[in-house]
Parts: sequence; C-alpha cells; structure tokens
Amino acid sequence: MGNSSSRITAQDRAILNMKLQRDKLHIYQKKIQTILTREHEIAKECLARDDKPRALLALRRRKYQEQLLVKTDAQLEALEKLTSTIEFSLVEKAVLYGLQQGNQVLKEIHKEMSLEAVEKLIEETDEARAYQREVSNLLAGVMTNEEEDAVEDELEALEREVLGARAVPAMPDAPSMVPISTETSEGAGKG
Amino acid sequence: MTTTATMFTKPKPPNLEYPELYEFPAFFTRYHSSSSPQNTQPNDTTWAHQRSIWAAWVLSYCRAHKIWKLQLSDALETELFYNRNLNRRFKQRDAAELLEYMVTEGDVEWEGVGKATAIVYWRKPEEWANVIYEWIDSTGQKGSVLTLYEISEGDLTRNQEFHTIDPYVLRKALDFLVKRSLAQVFGANEEMGVKFF
Repeated sequence: MGNSSSRITAQDRAILNMKLQRDKLHIYQKKIQTILTREHEIAKECLARDDKPRALLALRRRKYQEQLLVKTDAQLEALEKLTSTIEFSLVEKAVLYGLQQGNQVLKEIHKEMSLEAVEKLIEETDEARAYQREVSNLLAGVMTNEEEDAVEDELEALEREVLGARAVPAMPDAPSMVPISTETSEGAGKG
Repeated sequence: MTTTATMFTKPKPPNLEYPELYEFPAFFTRYHSSSSPQNTQPNDTTWAHQRSIWAAWVLSYCRAHKIWKLQLSDALETELFYNRNLNRRFKQRDAAELLEYMVTEGDVEWEGVGKATAIVYWRKPEEWANVIYEWIDSTGQKGSVLTLYEISEGDLTRNQEFHTIDPYVLRKALDFLVKRSLAQVFGANEEMGVKFF
C-alpha cells in the first residue's frame, strides 16, 4: 500500500469496495444462519418445557430472520452482478483498446501503400524494364572475337554451299518447275 | 476456521498419518541425557532425534486438521500431545520447548509475547505465495481484484489447500508476491484487497 508507483486504478478501488460489501453480507448471512439454528433449538426446548407461547415467539423471530436472509441474498446477487458487469466492461475496454491499436497499425500500413506510391512503383518498374531492354540491345550489339569468327565461318560455309550449287547443274530444280503447269499433279498434291 | 474448543473431538482426517513412535510410551517422555548418566553414547533416543520426529508430527497434524494457530493449552488435550490409548501425554514444558525449537527452524511463530499461541507454518509463507499465485493464474484471475476475506473464506477457494488460511499467514504470503511485483495489496486496515498481475 501507499506505493508511489501504484498499479491500482480507480476502478480497482471501486471493485474492492463492492467486494468488501459482499464479504460483509456473507458474514452477516453466517450470523443469521446461526441465529436461525439457535431459535429453532430454543423453540424445541420451550416445547419440551410445555411453554408454547415462548416456542411460538422463537419461531416468529426465526421467520423474521429468514426473511432478512432472503433479502440479503437478493442484495448479494445485485452486488455480484454489478461487480461482474464492471469487470466485464473493463475487459471490453481492453478489447476496444486492442482494436484501436490494430486499426492504427492498419492505417499506417495503408499510408505506406498509397496509390501514389503504387503508381510510382509501377512507373519505376516500367523504367527498369525499359532500361533492361536497352541493356539487352546493347549487349546484342557487342560480340566477342570468337563469336565474330564463328559467325564468319558460318557465312563461308553458306557461301560454299550456294556457290557450289551454282557450279554443278541444278538437277532438282528442273522437275520442280514442271508439275506447276499440270493440273493433275496439283489435284494429287491436294488429295 | 478451526476453533480450538472443538479440536479434540474431531475425527481423524484421512490424510493424517501417525508416526510409528506414537504408539511407544517413551515417545511422550522427553529424553534427558542428564537423567541417564550411564548412557553417554548419543543414539536414536537422543532428544534431538525425538524432537525432529515431534516437529514433523506437529506439522502433519496441523496440515491434516488445517490448524493455522495452535493454542498450546488446548493442544495438550488433543491427540497431538495426548495419546489416550496409552494414557501418555507430552508435558506442557516439553511441548513449549519443542515449539521453541520449531521457531528456530521457521516452522512456527509465536503469536504475541505470551507464547500461548503458535502460528504453525505447515507450509512456509513463500510456499503459500506460490500456491495462491498458481491458483490465480490457472483460474484466469490475473488483473483481478480480490478481497483477502475472499481468498480465505470465499466459495471459490473452498476446494483449495489455502481455504481458511489465517489472515496473518495470508498477508505474509502476499508480501512475497508484492516483492516479486506479482501482486499489490491495497485498502485500509481490516478492509484489504489485492490485485494480481
């Protein structure tokens, strides 16, 4: 108690006060319960002594105490309900706080994901892609000596093929020209 | 709470085990080395040994009957110190000496200066602190406010070992939790509450 760094809130004190009242009612009920038993015993003792009026009186007092007990029961219930409600409200408050915090975080995330930022990002991506294309084009223009040699070799081979084909009479060319004019071969080709 | 007046009429609780020596008449007579000078060898019948068995017996008796405070004059009439079957009883002086020894062991604390009533710690306050906090934790009551009365007398603790715990012992136990920042005690005088964290 008396801590300067107290973690006890005003609600805690309110709850404590209600619970203390509840305890008092509990103790009061215990007291009434003993009176009830005692009055019952007294009534019995009086009857044994043939003292009917006294026995009746004891039973009447007992009845009255019983009513008190019922009343305190109702009060106890009311107190406990109120305490539970407050405790539940505190839980709700905590949940609300949690939701608020979550919302805040969500807002911050959205702020970072603004349309502008997204557009800019896409723009940047487009630029990056254009850049990539440029690089590819540049790279395509630059070839190593080996590759250049290989390409030249390939050209030579191709030339030999083409020139060689012209030196020798082109045998396969002749028949390929003939069937164009004949309709039968065309139909057979289609069939 | 156990009233000392009804103590010796109580039936034997199921979890109470009598020490073997309880059936031996000699157990109820304090061993004095001076009374038997011919016996100079310390053996099993020395007072220290007898005393330790007595101390254990007092603790298990109080645990079984959930006695938080032992009133010596009443206790001498109970089966704790009085074996009616053997018609043997522990003398008041010896019982007081025994309790005095238990004080040095931390098992007992005198209430007031009269040394008529002893608070018996069949669990040390720090153990009680752990038992209570365990219960708070397992019943989801962290962050809740409880009255001290509720802890010892409430319906919710009826099946707990610490139900009916003596207010003084409870305060000592809670002090341990306060020290470890697991609880804060607040309120005034007899109207105390505790919040657990």
